[in-house]
Amino acid sequence: MSWTLVVVPIIAVILLNLPFGEGYRKLAFPAGIFLAVLQSALVLLPIENMFPYGACPLSPFVFLSPDALGLLMILSVGIVVFSALLVGWRMTDKTSRKSDFANLIILAMAGMNGVILSGDLFSLYVFLEIVAVSSFILIAMDKNREALEGSFKYIMLSAVATILILSSISVFLMLTGSTSFSAAAAALKQGNHAAVLASGLFIIGLLIKGGIAPFHGWLPDAYTSAPAGVSIFLAGIVTKTTGIYTIIKLVSYVTGYTGPVKEILLFFGAVSALLGAFAALDQKNFKRMLAYSSISQMGYVIMGLGAGNPLGVMGAAFHLFNHAIFKTQLFVNSAAVEQETGTLNMDRLGGLSDKMPVTGATSVVALLSTAGVPPLSGFWSKLLVIVALWVAGYKIYALIAVFAGVVTLAYLLSMQRRVFFGNISASFSNIKEAGVSFTLPAVLLSTITIAAGVFFPYVFEKLIIPVQALLGLL
Amino acid sequence: MNGLLQFFIITPSLLAAAAFLSPKRIKGLREGIALVATGLNLYFALAYFGRDIYATVPWGGGLGLDFSLRLYGFSSFIIASAAAFSFLITLYSSVFMYKKEHPGQFYLYLILSVAMINGAVLADNLVVLLFFWEGLLVTLFGMIFIGHKGAYKTAMKALIIAGITDLCMMLGIALTYYLAGTLTISKIHLPMSFGASVAFIFIMIGAISKAGSMPFHSWIPDAAVDAPLPFMAFLPGSLEKLIGIYFLTRISLDMFQLSAGSWVSTVMMIVGAVTIILAVMMALVQKDFKKLLSYHAISQVGYMILGIGTAVPVGIVGGIFHMLNNAIYKSCLFLTGGAVEHRAGTTDLRKLGGLGKVMPVTFASFIVAALAISGVPPFNGFFSKELVYDGALERHWIFYFAAVAGSFFTAASFLKLGHSAFGGKISEEFKKIKEAPFAMLVPMVVIASACIVFGLYNSFPIDKLIAPVLGEHAQSHVFSGFPHNIMLVAITLVVLAGAVLNHIYGVKKTGKGLGAVDHIHHAPVLSTLYDKSGQADPYDIGMKLTGILAAGLWYIDRGIDWLYNGFSVYSAYAIAFVSKNIRGASYSAFIIWSLIGAAAVLAMMFGKS
Repeated sequence: MSWTLVVVPIIAVILLNLPFGEGYRKLAFPAGIFLAVLQSALVLLPIENMFPYGACPLSPFVFLSPDALGLLMILSVGIVVFSALLVGWRMTDKTSRKSDFANLIILAMAGMNGVILSGDLFSLYVFLEIVAVSSFILIAMDKNREALEGSFKYIMLSAVATILILSSISVFLMLTGSTSFSAAAAALKQGNHAAVLASGLFIIGLLIKGGIAPFHGWLPDAYTSAPAGVSIFLAGIVTKTTGIYTIIKLVSYVTGYTGPVKEILLFFGAVSALLGAFAALDQKNFKRMLAYSSISQMGYVIMGLGAGNPLGVMGAAFHLFNHAIFKTQLFVNSAAVEQETGTLNMDRLGGLSDKMPVTGATSVVALLSTAGVPPLSGFWSKLLVIVALWVAGYKIYALIAVFAGVVTLAYLLSMQRRVFFGNISASFSNIKEAGVSFTLPAVLLSTITIAAGVFFPYVFEKLIIPVQALLGLL
Repeated sequence: MNGLLQFFIITPSLLAAAAFLSPKRIKGLREGIALVATGLNLYFALAYFGRDIYATVPWGGGLGLDFSLRLYGFSSFIIASAAAFSFLITLYSSVFMYKKEHPGQFYLYLILSVAMINGAVLADNLVVLLFFWEGLLVTLFGMIFIGHKGAYKTAMKALIIAGITDLCMMLGIALTYYLAGTLTISKIHLPMSFGASVAFIFIMIGAISKAGSMPFHSWIPDAAVDAPLPFMAFLPGSLEKLIGIYFLTRISLDMFQLSAGSWVSTVMMIVGAVTIILAVMMALVQKDFKKLLSYHAISQVGYMILGIGTAVPVGIVGGIFHMLNNAIYKSCLFLTGGAVEHRAGTTDLRKLGGLGKVMPVTFASFIVAALAISGVPPFNGFFSKELVYDGALERHWIFYFAAVAGSFFTAASFLKLGHSAFGGKISEEFKKIKEAPFAMLVPMVVIASACIVFGLYNSFPIDKLIAPVLGEHAQSHVFSGFPHNIMLVAITLVVLAGAVLNHIYGVKKTGKGLGAVDHIHHAPVLSTLYDKSGQADPYDIGMKLTGILAAGLWYIDRGIDWLYNGFSVYSAYAIAFVSKNIRGASYSAFIIWSLIGAAAVLAMMFGKS
């Protein structure tokens, strides 16, 4: 049953917090790892309709069976949670905080699964909030000035987004008397102006949550100030699920790929892709640079979606998945660097490849995939997006996408050079590889990047082609 | 049966990796794997001999880039010969490479070369062929590279020369594709229009360069000194000639309708004749066993190109037969050279001497192979050379003259080589050396006896293996048996006798075998030419020209470089500086940006609905 994906983690969190002492609460870590691995493994099992629809007992919420994109997202959630838990557990210092961290991650995982599976606007909203609240606490966990400031910014903007989304839902409820996707879609089809306004508000709320320029102001601060494990989690999956995936869901189930929607997606996608890439070019902080890179890459996904043809939707879905893999990987690498050197200032780093060969090498894989270099997986998804834009007749946008790819390669290579290549400074001469909780996810993720690229035809056929069904829902 | 052809490529490739990765500690394992690999290959080559099989794997979508392989009479003959040589050379190497540096890499390249050669010969698609052709370049580079520390330069030289000629071949293939509309070799039959002639010349450059013809030869003598010796017997000595000439034959006979009257045929004959003469003149004056042989490796290609270039049946048969014969005796000669190096520790002819007494079997093999390469009846070289002479004479007497003159110098240089290495007095330090080890003797003796067998029973290789290649071109000619033109045979014998007389004269004059050709070396005009020959390496000239060109391009490059490294970087950072600041440093700034964005979204939403 699909609802177990949401209910089991929530029950797990409740059970894990029974008052049996701190040693008992520490079980949250293995439990989280287990749930994450289980979730990914279930998706990969060759079983048709792994998560069938079934009414959830005692619950007002509607959980659908996941579509092809949903499956891909459930897989990504599992992979990213696994990596974030490994790194975060190691980097959090106090035992009690470790358990808090793992519990919150499991809770957010339940929320994200809920977002992916939810079958109506209101349950969608509830799970968005579950994820958001867990994230606020996660960002602020270190309780230092920066973390609190980052968390506060995130809360404030989330509040704006929440207001917009909630208003939108209430307008739909007022118009149709229901919060289901189909009722909202029907109201839109009649050309009701209030419905158009409501869908616009919803999209704005999601653009804010997804950190698409120019709604991205909160994102670099939140990513940078959060503890390492949390940044991995936020950048790798949270904003991607709550923002970008939800936009895809909304467009596919409610608004449809209409002219104005496509125009919005293309325009803001292009702005994000360019602005993010250029802003990343001039950053000194490793994580902040990756945050801008994230904004830029999400621009690609949105642009692919805006192309509104099968290729574009497949490209967007695949790029969303790839981004979860390679950006998580880069954040894991940055965490390893932070753990060993205590700094993320790229001007002070350099030559770490000699001391941290695994981190350096996997970082190369991830950056090449991000920049879209064949045969890595990022190349294929970018290619799909660019070809889709070209075929759909948005040639200017296709060129922008290509150009942003060049800038991406530029800033990532400059990152690689400044952090991993060149001469190592004397103060870092004693560092070594950060340990298996960093190298294991790094190696795993770069293996996925390489494998999904080299065996692209297989991945494409099994996981990506079914995604185009999203176009025919309305 | 369809899919099995791929195993000619896959099996050796996998075993090459196994040989490379096999642990050093288990003695003999690596050699064992190499022997199994080449042995299996030989077994398959013989099992599939003469069959007609076509295998294709669709690949590259609608571009006509199918991975198609075709085995038929001619290709199975080449594959079987290549397999036989590679097996014998592996056997030989198992002793020669023992305790030498980089044995793992050596076997990797050796077996991988076998796979590449099988692939190139079987390929029925020009792009597939090109893939394996270039793969051979990699193993060639690797083989030279592992020679010793300074071998890097020679490897680089080989790579650049082969790379440029392969580029020509690529152009030729592209042009052929344009003209014929297909990449499938067995479907291409182009008449010799001007465009086709240009395509032919380009592909021919690639093919004869692989075979080691002038002017693409200059890395071979360098490699002879730098690379491990079995490599010389293996790649430039036999296998590269096999596939170079194989492909040259394919383009001359099948892919293009080369006729005796076309200018392309004349170009080929000139290249062949010039290669024969110039290379043999260089070989004549060498004072090193390996270097002398390497120049002959170049010179003999001239006969093959000359023979095929005649575009008359008898010449073509002669050219192909000569390719086979050359592979036999040249690898035998290189192996005897290796045996001498293995035992005496040097290949410098000034130090060697009298080895015939202590290494009788090696000496005997050397004699047989030397007689064969000089074209003495009844050894195999004699028959193929006579066929080439016959074909050359049919076109113009000047080509015939060049070929016969080449024979004279070949005989003279081998008399000198044999006399100075194996004849004469033995020095004290060499008195104690022993005959080469058994595993080295077997390949030498087997190959040497092939010289005799293919001479006496030449009807087998000619009628069974080579004549069918010509198809309808052959008509009802009979090429085997003793040459029909007794006049030509008589001239050959006179020339050979002349070479012996010349040797006796030279030895008398200088008193030692090594000085037998000094009077030619120091002849009035020739001595100046020889002095200049050192500077006339086409590679060095090309490199100098490249240097000048590079200096000119440098200035243009600076300008373009500024566009990329200066202009674009500065403007990118300028934009970056601006974009970085649109991030809403404060909450109010963020709200303002968001409101602008929200207004834009709503405007778009309502704009067209």
